Amino acid sequence: MMQEALYALIRFDLLLEAISGVIALMISHQANMAYQLTGEKRLSDLSTGFLVLSAGMFGRVVGTFYFFVIIGTAGLTPEAEMVRGIVTIAYGSARIMAYVLFAISTRRTIRKPTLANTPLMALPFLIDPNLEIVAIMILIIVVLQAMMNYFNVRTKFALYVLIAFSCLLLSHIFGIIALIEIRAYWWSQMAQFLGLISLLVMLIKAGRET
Amino acid sequence: MSRKKSYRSKVRILADMMRAIQNGGDEGTGPTRILYSANLSHDRLTQYIEELLEKGLIRVVEQNGSSRAYVLTAKGMEFLREFTKIERFSQAFGIDI
Repeated sequence: MMQEALYALIRFDLLLEAISGVIALMISHQANMAYQLTGEKRLSDLSTGFLVLSAGMFGRVVGTFYFFVIIGTAGLTPEAEMVRGIVTIAYGSARIMAYVLFAISTRRTIRKPTLANTPLMALPFLIDPNLEIVAIMILIIVVLQAMMNYFNVRTKFALYVLIAFSCLLLSHIFGIIALIEIRAYWWSQMAQFLGLISLLVMLIKAGRET
Repeated sequence: MSRKKSYRSKVRILADMMRAIQNGGDEGTGPTRILYSANLSHDRLTQYIEELLEKGLIRVVEQNGSSRAYVLTAKGMEFLREFTKIERFSQAFGIDI
């Protein structure tokens, strides 16, 4: 029963991640269109950043799914461990790379597995404290830049971007806390999801209002 | 925009000119008004007006017989709408275009 609930939570987690990936892809597309029109290189960097973020998110969804397929059929084998390790590094690196690109354009994750609590271990799937710290440091720069931009232009669109990057920063802070308090993992995922939703709202409003 | 800019991209200059033309309404906007609104030299103005005409973004309307005035075409209005969206998007991330 408990295990069923955990699997349901994991499915929900992956659904949020997939939706976030689609939103990141939409932002990347918009930034690329803006780059095509203006030739402004920073828009190209922003587009690449969201593309990398989106690829990392989709990679995590596929990797986690594959991980559960393996442990569902063969148990926690060395192969499953390897998949988890690869996805952890790839996901964390993709996000950091994306944040570096955000920082340039605007000026998450492992637990030692135990056979006893495999589903529980999969919840904070892909949390590596070192990668989280690096992500937090880069995101602090990105948030400060978004804040300065907001105070400079004072538009609601800039405010949505500031909220989005702040949510991403919060998601990584919760990611660290998740290593000692598992509930923080959900706050982390929700913060990330809300950040991407904020960007989606910005994208829609910027396109609609004349 | 309140920020000082040392450089305006070509697309920004064209958009500034088109906004000046749009503000003139159906009667059209003369070159002098475009020149001042978009902050351009006479040579640049002539060059960019030719380009806008070639691309079908503006058209000439006669004003008081001999003097020329310009209005936006449907394509020009669509371009300006798209540019405004992109401008808001870029500005939201602190990117000047």
